[in-house]
Amino acid sequence: MGEKLIISIDGKACACEKGEYLLQVARRNGIFIPSLCNHEGLEGLGACRLCIVEVTRGGRTQTVVSCIYPVEAEIEVQTQTNSIVEQRSVIVALLARLAPQSQTIAQMAKFMGADLPRLAERPGGDKCILCGLCVVACEQVGTGAIAKVNRGVEKEIATPYHRPSAECIGCTACANVCPTGQIEYQQDEQGVTIWGRYFDYVACAACGKQFATAAAWEFSALSSASEAASVGVGADAGADAGAGAGAGAGAIGQGRTGVVADADALPAPPLCPECQRQQVAEWLASSSGRYGNVRVAMKELAGE
Amino acid sequence: MSERTTVCGTPPTAFGAATAVTPRRCLLVCCGTGCRANNAMGLADALEAAARDAGLDVTVSSDAPQIKRTGCNGFCENGPIVKVHPDDISYYKVKPEDAEPIIASLGNEPVARLLYRGEMRQRLTRQIDNPFYAHQQKLALRNIGEIDPLVIADYVAAGGYQALKKALQMSSEQIVEEVIASGLRGRGGAGFPTGIKWQTAAGYPAKPKYVICNGDEGDPGAFMDRSILEGDPHSVIEGLTIAALAIQAEQGFLYIRDEYGLALSNIAAAIAVAEADGYLGDDICGSGRKLRLEIVRGGGAFVCGESTALMASIEGRVGEPRAKYVRSAEKGLWGQPTVLNNVETLANIPYIILNGGAEFAKIGTAGSTGTKVFSLVGKVNRTGLIEVPMGASLRHMIYDIGGGIKRDRPFKAVQTGGPSGGCIPEGQLDLAVDFDTLDAEGAMMGSGGMIVMDEHDCMVEVARYYVKLLAEESCGKCTPCREGLRQMLGILTDITEGRGQVGDIELLERICATMTAASLCALGKTAANPVLSTIRHFRDEYQAHIRDRSCPAGVCPALTVYVIDAEKCTSCGACSRACPVGIVSGEKKVPYSIQSEKCIACGSCRDACRFDAVIAMRKEEVA
Repeated sequence: MGEKLIISIDGKACACEKGEYLLQVARRNGIFIPSLCNHEGLEGLGACRLCIVEVTRGGRTQTVVSCIYPVEAEIEVQTQTNSIVEQRSVIVALLARLAPQSQTIAQMAKFMGADLPRLAERPGGDKCILCGLCVVACEQVGTGAIAKVNRGVEKEIATPYHRPSAECIGCTACANVCPTGQIEYQQDEQGVTIWGRYFDYVACAACGKQFATAAAWEFSALSSASEAASVGVGADAGADAGAGAGAGAGAIGQGRTGVVADADALPAPPLCPECQRQQVAEWLASSSGRYGNVRVAMKELAGE
Repeated sequence: MSERTTVCGTPPTAFGAATAVTPRRCLLVCCGTGCRANNAMGLADALEAAARDAGLDVTVSSDAPQIKRTGCNGFCENGPIVKVHPDDISYYKVKPEDAEPIIASLGNEPVARLLYRGEMRQRLTRQIDNPFYAHQQKLALRNIGEIDPLVIADYVAAGGYQALKKALQMSSEQIVEEVIASGLRGRGGAGFPTGIKWQTAAGYPAKPKYVICNGDEGDPGAFMDRSILEGDPHSVIEGLTIAALAIQAEQGFLYIRDEYGLALSNIAAAIAVAEADGYLGDDICGSGRKLRLEIVRGGGAFVCGESTALMASIEGRVGEPRAKYVRSAEKGLWGQPTVLNNVETLANIPYIILNGGAEFAKIGTAGSTGTKVFSLVGKVNRTGLIEVPMGASLRHMIYDIGGGIKRDRPFKAVQTGGPSGGCIPEGQLDLAVDFDTLDAEGAMMGSGGMIVMDEHDCMVEVARYYVKLLAEESCGKCTPCREGLRQMLGILTDITEGRGQVGDIELLERICATMTAASLCALGKTAANPVLSTIRHFRDEYQAHIRDRSCPAGVCPALTVYVIDAEKCTSCGACSRACPVGIVSGEKKVPYSIQSEKCIACGSCRDACRFDAVIAMRKEEVA
């Protein structure tokens, strides 16, 4: 990393660093490449395959997926060749049959003129395109409440055994990154329902407003405290917090209950709900290169 | 069972001129998985008992014949197989009750009824006389069927671990050079040059490095890797150890599918004894070099045979491949430089190191050196595991080794390379088979599956079968592969069930092109092969299904009914006996008939008829 390269994308000279992903470079230079399973705050997946482009390197041309293709040399990139346009159109047509309920995909298919009426709709098809971005978001949060289940055409996104997951903290990160709005959640005054579970909100210590779910707050507080304890910082938070963190880490290891622990053990004051989501989203959007996980963001937001 | 000093089953040269005594007589009982299913272990016990009863007790007299349980001889349909050394007698389909006559015949005339019958019905005594074996050249399979896989002394006596000792005297560069010179390409399917892979991994300074043996053989009908792991596990261990020396790895994994029970237990036993004897472990042959091997059991996902999915599986993650923009030789298992080779590839390594890469390169073709093991199955007279030099023609394999098509029916196509392979038609029978010629034909080498088909095989149904398998076994991560397969399966099912539409062939080709170009891993990139190759060579058959609602091969049940040609029918009743639903009836001297409204169109009657009196008709025509 660090070495500067000049690559050509659709004839435009674009500066980038060695090792940067091609899609990022194109976006920064105002070149549009369609994609669904890419989120700026998360690692590229290469699952939806919409961001395919043609790369010529050393006289050899190959089709690559730009979201996970690291730029290693001064390459020439074509984003709109006839074959790329054709392949994208077939992919979108396939997705439209997989997720017939999705307006996003329908609009995309219309825009690209991708229509293969002969293809059958997936029975029971909803909005999900099985890209797995929600799973990656959940892993990044650190919970791992949902996963890709089965393989081949039987693949699906689910909680373990389709039962409400004990790991879920109701953070809704999965819903927020979903490119088609498949993952839904219902909010009321006291809490939120997602993945078949109801999560109570916790009240903001400062303004009294209810914000993130109690489970999410507990999870983030415990994991940031245990992180602090493990690196030997956070002495100001007091010995009690350290002890609480240790107990919390043990509880996570044994399977979470989702019940709020002793509020006195929480090391930092809670934040308002709107700000929190807003700021986390902003942080995710601006953090390319140092996205660790949301709890780091929460720590920063909590002023630690 | 066997003393470690015993040497048998090895070529006479191994004994040297100094040993004037006749080599000890030895009965090699094939105890591969296929023969075990036919009670080979019971046979071996019976032979031991018969020898004892005849006063030839191996524990008392060193002149008594020794009974060895070996790995698979490849000719499973004629098992259990017993070979007598040094007399060079091969018996087939041997049962425990044959033990006594075999023991009694030792030193005299062989038991004629157990010998293989040639095409002229003559009795063939030696293995080399058997046309199934006569045209083979065994290199990767060199020891299998000749040694007891659980006795390391057998392997050592056959020249085993000599290559390792030689490699320990060589530098990493020298080992890599020798493998590059051999031209060896990966036997797992893709055919990547093994030496280049090793050289790349050796060039990265990052430590630790890993070596992996891919034993997750998943192609239906392919069992060469299982056979090697079962019958000659030390050759794989030796190959893997040499790979580790070449790239300076100190940890290795053998990823073997859990269904391979005998392979797993034999390789585990071989690792233990190799460690005990100092060929593995913390001080390999006193050199101070280290290698620890660990067995990982595959859970049965076809896609885990793909190298990056396999590594994900070892790491404990979901078996999904990753893009190979960064090669595993640089960042593989746990992000460290990793070399992954197939079982058969590794089994070739000791030969290459011992005899030199140039010697290996003399075998085969310029672009594909050495030999290849194929599993020859389907509508041929002799099926089994065969090893031939690269460049052997399909005709040679199917007709000379396989003995031609069953019932002398016309050859239609041969499907090579497993589910992602392709079908090659009659016009290409003289194709000299190697990695490049198969690729050019739209098929592929794959792991070496070779399924022979005759005129009673429907090519659309064949494509549908493989697409169904792939649709279930794709990892499902990327859109073109998962959704392309889902939709192709739907279209192909429609075609075989009479709901095909004009334009379906072109639509299949469009989906295929996108899958080939845009899929993540080799599974998706090649998953279009069974469809594309059958469209390419049998387009008229697709068209017949779509336009005429007709299955020319008479296979697709929705389009086919069977009728009996009264003039050809000899009233033998074979069709009636074969019918699983009991709707074929008749009597002596009167032609038989089929109750077509109850017929399930399975084709059993047609297969059973020796007079071609059962005819497949278009359903619409009859109705």
